Amino acid sequence: MGEVIVVTSGKGGVGKTTTTANVGTGLAKLEKKVVLIDTDIGLRNLDVVMGLENRIVYNLVDVIEGTCKINQAFIKVKGYNNFYLLPSAQTRDKTAVTPEQMKKLTDQLKEEFDYVIIDCPAGIEQGFHNAIAGADRALVVTTPEVSAVRDADRIIGLLEANEIKQIHLIVNRLRMDMVKRGDMMSSEDVVEILAIPLIGVVPDDENIVISTNQGAPLVGNSTLAGRAYMNICKRVDGEEVPFLDLAGKGGLFSRLFKKN
Amino acid sequence: MSNAVVIKGTTYGFSVFIDEQAEFSVISAEMQEKFKESARFFGNAKMAISFEGKHLTDEEQRQLLDVIAENSEVHIVCIIEHNSEAEEMHKRSLEERLQALDSSNGQFYKGNLRSGQVLETETSIIIIGDVNQGATVTSKGNIIVLGTLLGNVYAGAGGNQNAFVLALELDPVQIRIADTIARAPDKVGKMLWKREKEKNKEPKIAFRSGDNIFIEPVSRTVLNDIKL
Repeated sequence: MGEVIVVTSGKGGVGKTTTTANVGTGLAKLEKKVVLIDTDIGLRNLDVVMGLENRIVYNLVDVIEGTCKINQAFIKVKGYNNFYLLPSAQTRDKTAVTPEQMKKLTDQLKEEFDYVIIDCPAGIEQGFHNAIAGADRALVVTTPEVSAVRDADRIIGLLEANEIKQIHLIVNRLRMDMVKRGDMMSSEDVVEILAIPLIGVVPDDENIVISTNQGAPLVGNSTLAGRAYMNICKRVDGEEVPFLDLAGKGGLFSRLFKKN
Repeated sequence: MSNAVVIKGTTYGFSVFIDEQAEFSVISAEMQEKFKESARFFGNAKMAISFEGKHLTDEEQRQLLDVIAENSEVHIVCIIEHNSEAEEMHKRSLEERLQALDSSNGQFYKGNLRSGQVLETETSIIIIGDVNQGATVTSKGNIIVLGTLLGNVYAGAGGNQNAFVLALELDPVQIRIADTIARAPDKVGKMLWKREKEKNKEPKIAFRSGDNIFIEPVSRTVLNDIKL
């Protein structure tokens, strides 16, 4: 039986959808059977980031309401054998689905897939409760800003209250140059406040913007963000992978200079 | 008939309103008259009685009870006192006692309190874990945090001015003790997330003195001054 993982943050715009797309794609690259579910009903965009918008015929609400069979709503991701997206509906709102219905759906899907990855909407209202209803574990995404960290703290409290025990932290969009100057929280500072285990640090990398705009997740490529996301996938899958040295892009010379 | 005495009946008793100016003989006579009139109406009910309006001595009260007994079948079971001074004293000592109980009794909570979470206790509370910014702890007694306290705390919520707050790392957004509130200094031009770890690395205690809240490192002298 597979696992249901919810990607959540509380605050909007910190990279939940980007993380869902990249972690899902990375796990598919690791030969896992993966399905992504976009639960952001009314504001769907996981399909856009995945470059699959033009293939949507049915959506999550259609599946829940029985308008179609689940396989009809699945969009197969090009280039993979066992990697699907279940898109959200754009013309409805969060109340179109209940937590009980979501749990039933994810319980069913995890029989079939290794990983069911849920893109959670921002906020703590019904959309959030729908997204976490069937989750076995959670990836909490935050940026190193006080507002995002505060919201992540609130979300972790709600996840704990909902008996989701396995909660991991992803610090997104870290800028080592700013951390070194003392102008940005380090991942250690964030972990100290949130007190949950860190599963990945993703640097602020313009390649992410490019890949999002192209509808092709960059996980697994040679960019720093691509490598960081691949490492997260391996850690999600239980592998122990050392953390990247995000500052070490200067190569041999900078290391020599540092020693002197 | 004059109105030196007005009797109001409820299900369980009489309230007797007495004109403050009236002579006791007048009162007594009027009571006699009024109870005689309404003896049949009251029957042999068991009632409580209270005297209001004029202060009566114990002897006067006893005489009036005799008047009632002689002129009706009503059984007066008890007299309800309206002595505001005594009432105030009872209330005060009861509250003080309850407050002392709130402070000297305590309970434990293990876990981190995160933003949006609220912990409220009737007694003192010892938290094993952190209280993050955005979380609130309210206690009628004292608050002890065996961890980092960054959120809001309200000790002595029942009005106990001797309540205190103690934490291994004490850097809250707001501390409230009884009706005094203190807030953290503004961090103008400073990073909000930067904690002054050097300054806060020793356990500290916050207590109320006068109308101010003081924060001091925990020492024997300070602990000796604690009143539970």
